Amino acid sequence: MKGKWLPVVVASLAVLLASGYGYTADKPIKLGFVYIMSGPAATYGQFAKQGADLAIDEINKKGGINGRKVEAIFEDDTGKSDVGIRLVRKLVYENEVDAVMGIDSSGVAAAVTPVMKELKTPLIITHAAVPDVTGSLCNRYTFRIDLSINQNVAMAAAIAADLKAKTWSTVGPDYSFGHQSWEYFQKYLSKKKPGVTFLPDAEAAFPPPATTDFSAFITKVMNSKADGVVISLWGGNLIDFVRQASDMGFFDGKREVLMTLGAATEVLTALKDKMPLGIWVGTRYWFQANDTPINKAFVEAYKKRFEVFPSYNAHGAYAAVKAYAAAAKKAGSTDKEKIVDALEGLSLELPIGPTTIRAEDHQAISDGTWGQTAADPAIPIRILKPMRHFAGKDITPSVEETGCKMK
Amino acid sequence: MEGILANVLNGLSWGMLLFLISVGLTTVFGVMGVLNFAHGSLFMLGAYLCMQFVRWLGSFWLGLLLGPPLVATLAVVIERFLLRPLYGRDVSFQLLLTFGLMLFLDDGVRLIWGAAYHVVTPPEILAGVVPLFSQTYPVYRIFLVVLGPLVGAALWAFFAFTRWGKTLRAAAMDREMAEIIGVRVPVMFTAVFAFGAWLAALGGALAAPHQSVGPAMGEHIIIESFIVVVIGGMGSFPGAFVGALILGLLSSFGTTLLPDVQMALPYMLLALVLLTRPRGLFGEDV
Repeated sequence: MKGKWLPVVVASLAVLLASGYGYTADKPIKLGFVYIMSGPAATYGQFAKQGADLAIDEINKKGGINGRKVEAIFEDDTGKSDVGIRLVRKLVYENEVDAVMGIDSSGVAAAVTPVMKELKTPLIITHAAVPDVTGSLCNRYTFRIDLSINQNVAMAAAIAADLKAKTWSTVGPDYSFGHQSWEYFQKYLSKKKPGVTFLPDAEAAFPPPATTDFSAFITKVMNSKADGVVISLWGGNLIDFVRQASDMGFFDGKREVLMTLGAATEVLTALKDKMPLGIWVGTRYWFQANDTPINKAFVEAYKKRFEVFPSYNAHGAYAAVKAYAAAAKKAGSTDKEKIVDALEGLSLELPIGPTTIRAEDHQAISDGTWGQTAADPAIPIRILKPMRHFAGKDITPSVEETGCKMK
Repeated sequence: MEGILANVLNGLSWGMLLFLISVGLTTVFGVMGVLNFAHGSLFMLGAYLCMQFVRWLGSFWLGLLLGPPLVATLAVVIERFLLRPLYGRDVSFQLLLTFGLMLFLDDGVRLIWGAAYHVVTPPEILAGVVPLFSQTYPVYRIFLVVLGPLVGAALWAFFAFTRWGKTLRAAAMDREMAEIIGVRVPVMFTAVFAFGAWLAALGGALAAPHQSVGPAMGEHIIIESFIVVVIGGMGSFPGAFVGALILGLLSSFGTTLLPDVQMALPYMLLALVLLTRPRGLFGEDV
């Protein structure tokens, strides 16, 4: 009996060992993504997923990261902080991901950032712009690859300084993002152009994010004495606002208008020719901002696969995956601590342009683009013409200013 | 002065849109005793169908005409096969069902049309603007201000003067008695539910040129509609009209005059009404 069974046991053991060995060698790198995938802002999650999928497929086609395939797990945080924290924990403890990426809402980003210290896992934020995550809340494991409020609003202020408007007001969503955008705009513009004045908050307009009828806010701003308005609404809010404001004569040329996220392709795609011409608009990434081969290849591949132009959120997710891959290559490992060390000070070429992740506060520094809305018969949406480019170092606050202390 | 007039028009046009949605909600509640959480989703469906017809046929009016009856047809199926088995049971079953329907419809819309925002252009005749002192005002909003009272008057006449309207009121007042004297209450309930859905979808189709069409657009408006219905009095028709007007004007003037508490104003009013007149402004005392 013994003799009969021995070869079977040996063979099974051999198979087990072989498959076990193979398992470690080919074990994929797991990246966890957290975005808003349902509800009114779901279009942002959809774009981000496309950007991440594109980057991962490109990497896997070339043999993966350090010879290992990359796998993605997507989760829907519904824009809520508690859900975001739960999902990040789940991704780390249950799915054993090597890194977490994503986060649309600034509220979720600010809530998740402190948790990363406990999870000891790198987080690369790709959309949320709240200054604190690379400022007062900064920590060893949290990075941001996209432009922050400060960087975007610094460009708005630079453009506003060259315009004629003397009294500025704002229309911004009534939560931290809208209020912080306004706060930094005042701070930067008053430094650049000391003579300008700003309406007090009570005379500016802060519609709640659930607003669908903006008429009262539009009337309020039009009847104020402001001759310049900076608008930080985004997504569906911005679409509704622009259409209703156009009808009410808001864009009649009597006031200068800046939209900090007006060049988001999801907004421009919905509005098409309803987007007024000659408005200064900003974004975190503009697909025509530069002619580098890497940007051209990204836009072409994206357009071919998804039949739309890449939005800034698509770029954010794409950039985060590419940054992770670059860090893993630099570190020669996917050990979480080594990845963090490699991400600090990492320089890489992204579609948006050359990007460096500042070691001191983990904020990515890349060049920014604003532009005036213009029509182009070859493209179904509004484009930016003329464009103004800003060097990353000129729009990024110094580390002291951010209030970030890593230790 | 022009600020005041613009605020009045802003408040009225928003109020009228709210009225169209609330009146369906309050009718369904008044006659059937069903609190329909999915009402906002039917509103959303109306907007999406209108958008789809505009894409296919190129006419907003056809979208307005064809979309709402489709939603009403869906409502017939919902009432007949999902809601009807629950009438005898605890009211929480109905709430759970309509809440589930809301989630189901919201995600269904996302599966069919995707998560992106869509824009519907108003018909040419309503697309322009009229001068309003130094500003301009959109014709479409004035159209809403006019249309609201017309729909309201038509509904009131229907309930007050027609045989069907009177029968409905009778069934709402005492279901058993109505059945005894020969009213076919189940058929009537189906009709009322479909009618409420038609009104919601009509509101959605009318809202489509005015706001972006996207998933969950119904969630925003259903909360305000519930406030309107409670303030006006559950099941009360004039209540819905007055409640919607008050809420519309409160939001437009509140934004200008009391920006700090603007968001809380509808809830403060709601609390005030519940404290002083728990059955709402037009609710009948028991």
